[in-house]
Amino acid sequence: MLEQIARVLLWLSVGEIAARSGLWPLPAPVTGLILLYAELAVRGRLPDDLGILADRLLQFLGMLFVPAGVGVIAYLDVFKTEATPILAAVIGGTAITLFVTMVVVNLLGRTIAKSREPGSECVEGAERDVNA
Amino acid sequence: MSTLDLTSLTWISLADQPILETGATVFAFLAATRISRLGGNHPLLNPTLLAIILISLGLEATHIPYKTYLRGADPINFMLGPAVVLLAVPLFRQRTVIRASARLIAVGLGVGLPVGVLSAVGIAWTMGASSQTILSLAPKSVTAGIAVGISEQIGGLQTLTIVLVIMTGITGAVLGPLVARLARVDDPRVVGLTMGIASHGIGTARALQISEVAGAFSGLGMGLNGVLTAILLPLIFRLF
Repeated sequence: MLEQIARVLLWLSVGEIAARSGLWPLPAPVTGLILLYAELAVRGRLPDDLGILADRLLQFLGMLFVPAGVGVIAYLDVFKTEATPILAAVIGGTAITLFVTMVVVNLLGRTIAKSREPGSECVEGAERDVNA
Repeated sequence: MSTLDLTSLTWISLADQPILETGATVFAFLAATRISRLGGNHPLLNPTLLAIILISLGLEATHIPYKTYLRGADPINFMLGPAVVLLAVPLFRQRTVIRASARLIAVGLGVGLPVGVLSAVGIAWTMGASSQTILSLAPKSVTAGIAVGISEQIGGLQTLTIVLVIMTGITGAVLGPLVARLARVDDPRVVGLTMGIASHGIGTARALQISEVAGAFSGLGMGLNGVLTAILLPLIFRLF
């Protein structure tokens, strides 16, 4: 288990060095995520302990945002003065995103389902074999 | 230092013990989880939001400044980075699904990512929001751990972003199934993927209640949208 914690901290540290260099635009944890994924893809398998570590920690992911989220009380003024644009952007923007994305992707999903039957299914099967 | 300062010094050293704030946060989140479960896990009863409210009320009542609390709760903050790195694990587990539905997912991201950012930024800008608020809004559809990093990079307020992200998640979780019905979309892959792209983990939790397929696609949408937005937004904002 300690090995897996070290692995996570290692990729996180690489991400932090990259972020601090000022040449790399990604936040350190995102770089760490990409590097860990790349490592797993190269290995082709997930170490058991790493899976357990991820499941345990991600189970209470929601708790980890609480300290930073409480900081909003320091910005209550911003919220009060800009409540209308904020609520409109959050609720309106999310509704628009849901609607447009669902309609477009659903249209594509239907065309794929109609056009693919034998041909592309084959290609997908091949990809799956390579992956296994 | 005079002896008169002794009492305040003792108080400060006590307040500096990180156990108090960390413990209070864990207890608040546990209580919030219980409340949420009692309410049938309704999206409006989001445990993170409830815990934030509980802690805020606690700080108001005890007159503990936010900075003191944040220093004490640092161990919890620290775990956020490793947790985001570990999001690679569920993504890796879904790699066969990603390959099998690559085109669907690519189109979902190609539409959902820009529409998500532009609709929020556009509405806020039209209605005269401050630039700081607009920048904090830009990563609102991204899972909080990543959104915070993006917000910092492009000049938004991290704490504002977190609350906006949670509000977005709740909105998406409530509206997702309604919009699906309105748009006559019943493919669980499409509904899940869209909810993950538009409303990250909170939307994903709701999608999981629809079906396992919807949940898996939602998790995928969340993860890929998070990574891609983190790559694209700072690059785009650098151009301006």
